Amino acid sequence: MTQKHSLLGTFSYLDDLLKAIEQARERGMHVETVYSPCPNHEIQEAMCMKPSSVRFFTLTGGILGVLFGIGLVIYTSLQWKFIVSGKPVIPLVPAVVVGFEFCILFSVLFTVAGLLFKSRLPRPGLPAHYREGLSQDEFGLLLRCRPEESRTVREFLKAAGAKEIHELPS
Amino acid sequence: MEKLTYRSIDEDVLRNMQAPTRTYYYLLALCFAGILLGAFCWGYMIATGIGVAGMKHPVFWGTFLINFVFWVGIAHSGTLISAILYLFRAPWRTAIARSAEAMTVFAVVTAGLFPFIHLGRVWIVYWILPYPNERNLWPNFQSPLVFDVIAISTYLTVSAMFWYTGLMPDLAVVRDKARGIRKKIYGALSLGWTGSHRRWNHYGKAYLLFAALATPLVISVHSVVSWDFALSIVPGWHSTIFAPYFVAGAIHSGLAMVLTLLIPMRKVFRFEHLITMNILENIAKTIIFTGLIVGYAYATEYFMAYYSGNVFERDTMIWRAIGNYSTAFWIMVVCNTLVPLLLFFKRVRTNLKRLFAISILVNVGMWYERFVIIISSAAHQFDPYSWTHYSPTWVEYGIMLGSFSLFGFLFLLFARFLPTVSMTEMKESLEPPRRNHRSRSISGTGEGSS
Repeated sequence: MTQKHSLLGTFSYLDDLLKAIEQARERGMHVETVYSPCPNHEIQEAMCMKPSSVRFFTLTGGILGVLFGIGLVIYTSLQWKFIVSGKPVIPLVPAVVVGFEFCILFSVLFTVAGLLFKSRLPRPGLPAHYREGLSQDEFGLLLRCRPEESRTVREFLKAAGAKEIHELPS
Repeated sequence: MEKLTYRSIDEDVLRNMQAPTRTYYYLLALCFAGILLGAFCWGYMIATGIGVAGMKHPVFWGTFLINFVFWVGIAHSGTLISAILYLFRAPWRTAIARSAEAMTVFAVVTAGLFPFIHLGRVWIVYWILPYPNERNLWPNFQSPLVFDVIAISTYLTVSAMFWYTGLMPDLAVVRDKARGIRKKIYGALSLGWTGSHRRWNHYGKAYLLFAALATPLVISVHSVVSWDFALSIVPGWHSTIFAPYFVAGAIHSGLAMVLTLLIPMRKVFRFEHLITMNILENIAKTIIFTGLIVGYAYATEYFMAYYSGNVFERDTMIWRAIGNYSTAFWIMVVCNTLVPLLLFFKRVRTNLKRLFAISILVNVGMWYERFVIIISSAAHQFDPYSWTHYSPTWVEYGIMLGSFSLFGFLFLLFARFLPTVSMTEMKESLEPPRRNHRSRSISGTGEGSS
């Protein structure tokens, strides 16, 4: 397996970072990760991100929730077959309320599960290249390269306006 | 907001998580004492019997249910601010969303205690849950009380998840600034969040979906609470307007509670530049709107009682206004519908003292609204032989004080240990730092150009 080096460049300005991403891609460099203190649509566009698949978890949860809620009402009603207030044994209108609440509950639980699963969370520690400023007011660009390319990548990051460059052999 | 930067936002918010003043500990101790008093009263009631509360035939829903509805209502504005206004892209919600969400979670926790207290035999409360058992007994899913259990449990789960998801990136900021044991604790709480572009992508989608799911949920929850009353045949309760009436009332009271909490908080934490007067003014304007809906609902109740020709309904409505509970009724009308009209005047809604006073009055009015709805109908039903007068006992007052103390205690802990303003959302609302502002505005590629 080829050894790879990771180089993290930290940037104070978003436009520097966006330009660096664009140039790194043009030069065929491997952009591993981009860090930012808050969500930014320009970074998402620069990284050509597809819409998150978390929404499919939500949809699955919602469908399962409705089926579970309505199924629970039907199953429990059929256990004794009591006629309450002259209503049918399987009450459809109340089942809608129960089905709706379970739909929301399961959707949210599945969304959380999807978010954690897709984000690979929880993690016991932080990546070795992570810097504290990245959650505060700095942007980060992590590039991976072969050991012999690290000098070129370092120079590229410096020229692109990186405030600091951290190199880590992986 | 021009003077704000990413760094200044972090510094302002994190400054308030450092060692608090002596006043903070006094307040915390006061709230804890209130909780102990409430716990003692509850313990006394469990040991002695539920008869020590003032409830007697036919009023079986006393202050326990009043407080339950009151606290569920308080919770609703948190979701309005965090979810509904998020979907509408209202920028003024950003600075107050975190506190409002916290308020939602703590209010639902407080509300959720009251059905436990009211059941008397709290140790068998799990009977209400649908679980397989040897006698094959299940809850009756045609009962609105069972709807309520499901709706409130769902609401608590969803609002807690929504709150925690929003907190995750901010906890990472706290982790990165902290040292020692605090770093470990906040590191564990932030789950290893790093702010990579993939995580922001999933986070943004999940947050949007939470908001989209919480919006119908919040409407359904207070509708379900209203059906606890509306699906019975008691005069004053059996009404089709109850669901929207309750939802509007819930948001009305919740917004007032947001003001009650935020006005002192912004002063103590020196958040004047984050929670601006403009934000408080917007909340005040929303209170005018909800107050008008509530006033319209009060009038509609009377019109329906008159127009339906139902003598029981008419009698209940007249009795509310001039009967034993008329004082509570007029407090309700004045505080909820007339006092908020003062907010039409700019000099009232931009004056913090007046705004704070109005928010307290609306809270009082909304508590009395629940009192009037629940007690005046239950105590004055069809048969004059069973008409009665209900007044709470010291046990109920003690438990009520305990509930307010619990809410205050949780909010004080939140203010000390968690970021009270969402740093992530505040940063997102700012123009990102750029080396060359001019070139960007000419190219017009970003959000700032619109």
